[in-house]
Amino acid sequence: MPIAVVGVSHHTAPVEVRERMAFSDSDAARALLTLRARTGIEEAVLLSTCNRTEVYLYPVLEAECLEAAQRLFAEKAEGLERPADEYLFQREGESVVRHLFGVSAGLDSMVTGEAEIQGQVRDAYLRSAGDGREPALTGPVLNRLFQTALAVGGQIRAETSINEGTASVASVAVELARKIFGQLKEKRILILGAGATAELMVEALAREGVRGVLVANRTYSRAEELAERLEGRAIPIERLTEGLPRADIILASTAAPHPVLTKERFHEAFPNGRHRPLLIIDIAIPRDVEPRVGDADGVFLYNVDDLRKIVDEHVELRSEAIPAANRIIDERWREFRSWYASREVVPVIRRMREQAEVHRAAELERLFGSLETLDPEERGRVEEFSRRLLNKLLHDPTVRLRKGMARGGGAELVDAVRFLYGIEDRQPSPPNTERERADREPRRQGERAPHPTRDPQHGVVE
Amino acid sequence: MIHLLAFLLYVGAFSLWIHFLVKGSRGEGPTFASAIAGAAVVVHAIALGDYWVRYEELPLVGPGAALSSLAFIGGLALLATIPLREAARVGIALLPFITICLGIAMILGIEPSPLSVDFQGVGFVLHVTFAFFGYQGLALAFAAGILYLIQHHELKSKRLGRFFRFIPPLATLDLLGRVGVWAGFAMLSLALGLGWAWTTANRGSLEVGDPKVIWAVLSWFIFVAIIVARRGTGRTDYRGAMAAVIGFAVVICSYLALRLTVGGAGLFL
Repeated sequence: MPIAVVGVSHHTAPVEVRERMAFSDSDAARALLTLRARTGIEEAVLLSTCNRTEVYLYPVLEAECLEAAQRLFAEKAEGLERPADEYLFQREGESVVRHLFGVSAGLDSMVTGEAEIQGQVRDAYLRSAGDGREPALTGPVLNRLFQTALAVGGQIRAETSINEGTASVASVAVELARKIFGQLKEKRILILGAGATAELMVEALAREGVRGVLVANRTYSRAEELAERLEGRAIPIERLTEGLPRADIILASTAAPHPVLTKERFHEAFPNGRHRPLLIIDIAIPRDVEPRVGDADGVFLYNVDDLRKIVDEHVELRSEAIPAANRIIDERWREFRSWYASREVVPVIRRMREQAEVHRAAELERLFGSLETLDPEERGRVEEFSRRLLNKLLHDPTVRLRKGMARGGGAELVDAVRFLYGIEDRQPSPPNTERERADREPRRQGERAPHPTRDPQHGVVE
Repeated sequence: MIHLLAFLLYVGAFSLWIHFLVKGSRGEGPTFASAIAGAAVVVHAIALGDYWVRYEELPLVGPGAALSSLAFIGGLALLATIPLREAARVGIALLPFITICLGIAMILGIEPSPLSVDFQGVGFVLHVTFAFFGYQGLALAFAAGILYLIQHHELKSKRLGRFFRFIPPLATLDLLGRVGVWAGFAMLSLALGLGWAWTTANRGSLEVGDPKVIWAVLSWFIFVAIIVARRGTGRTDYRGAMAAVIGFAVVICSYLALRLTVGGAGLFL
């Protein structure tokens, strides 16, 4: 299978290099057109995310194609201290298929099973597939490959626990809040400290509907600044006891060297105990909230280690799903290989049959020349006999050839058939589907390319 | 036969919920279990309708028939939670009670009792129906309460495992518990009032020594205790959940104690 991928990922390069090799949407389109002009590659897709930039190429019949792709990265990241190719990886043949399936399912992501990559793969594919205004940069092979990859990603997420649990500290905080309060609309949050981490976490909670932000900070002006950005209100840290009863969620992230919220202060704020649950997320080091506060009724106190432990457990749970995910990939990889092989074998079978048909017609003509006394009915019977005999003789080799290709032992078999039947040329395979036919036909100006349709769950289907 | 089908559907829905709990699912799976539970309630309604048509009386008198009706009202309570999506998972704790009631009813035989002749009239029907709604309100509060306590424990112990993922949020469970208790209390109060009126009208006076009257009054006081636990200062939701669990256990234990020690044909259940 003359397919290849060249790229850089979080496995091979640090972020400083990855960001230099990242392509914007318009850069990606230009780069692929350049690559096509340089190499004559028929199909190409460029996937560029914060963790990877990969270019998929088909057909790769010469080493120059790969070199051209590497040059593309080198030109993009000009001025690196070390040569660009030291950071690049490349795969060729069937391993490319498995690689893309794994990427789409999030198995190759920094956080196993993350869902964002599925959308990024879909966007990269749709960009290359075109919207009819630009010529498509994909054809039958990459169309099929990317559509299958998106389906595989969806299937793995639906059938395994690869995306179970949340895998970031901010999302754990959101999930905890949801499991305590249900709806987060109108819940109020109190922020202790005005750091950037707290701000990120508040943004995640705000997306879920948390409102009424109170910010308490030792430096009042910084509290005001953050409160303004979050459309909240600032209070001096000395008045913390007044702010506590109003909060449903407390997010602590000050740089104070000692606890800001002590058990005594908590009791002062709630002399009769609390009526409602209170979630406290303490991400400060050293901790802002005394652990004893967590013993109070209805207080759910999580520090940074608790959150990290939860994230690790979720990541472990996800990694338990990897064998099941790989089984799905194996199965779909075999299907893809079988589909690809059928593209190779169909023209050979057709030529084999055409050749046999030519021989049959010639032999019949010779026979009828020597048996002129045969009436039309007898001629018809002989003709029918010859056709059935030919079909019988070719049936088993045809079936075995297809099966052999599906099992992966295809190239030698096809060569053997070519040799035995004297089929010389490796002709371009005829289109198998209407879509392939349309892909190959040159389009008139303004004519739209057949466009893939979107499947909400699995991405894109034909 | 129709009762058996309803029973199997209840068991199926419960098994599915257990399966999804073990798997830690949160998506379409548990929704499918809710759909099966919904189907069970529909089939159960058909079974009770068939009883009504066949025997020309409502299935309210006699242990088998009454237990089946009680289970059906539990099914209705479960059905009411289905539109609330995640809240329907309370079924994992409510379904065992429904299934056990229906199972015992089938073992005892769902057929009319000789007492049916004595117990007739709209007042009586309403009395029994309201009482059943009252007990199922308590069962719903119990189911929500036990899930609340488990979820609370998961959150306090910081073990966000399969239970954490499957069980609805604390606020949802608290709401279900509150609705169950208040609705149950209102229904049981009405049932007691109607029962008192019916007994006075038909028997001349309230039979205060009757075990079922003692049990009903005890249950009413348990409702009062749960409502009191839900009021006042501090964590009323936690106390309410704990009280509902203990209260339901006391109601069941006292019923069993009465049934085993007193027994007799005077008991409906």
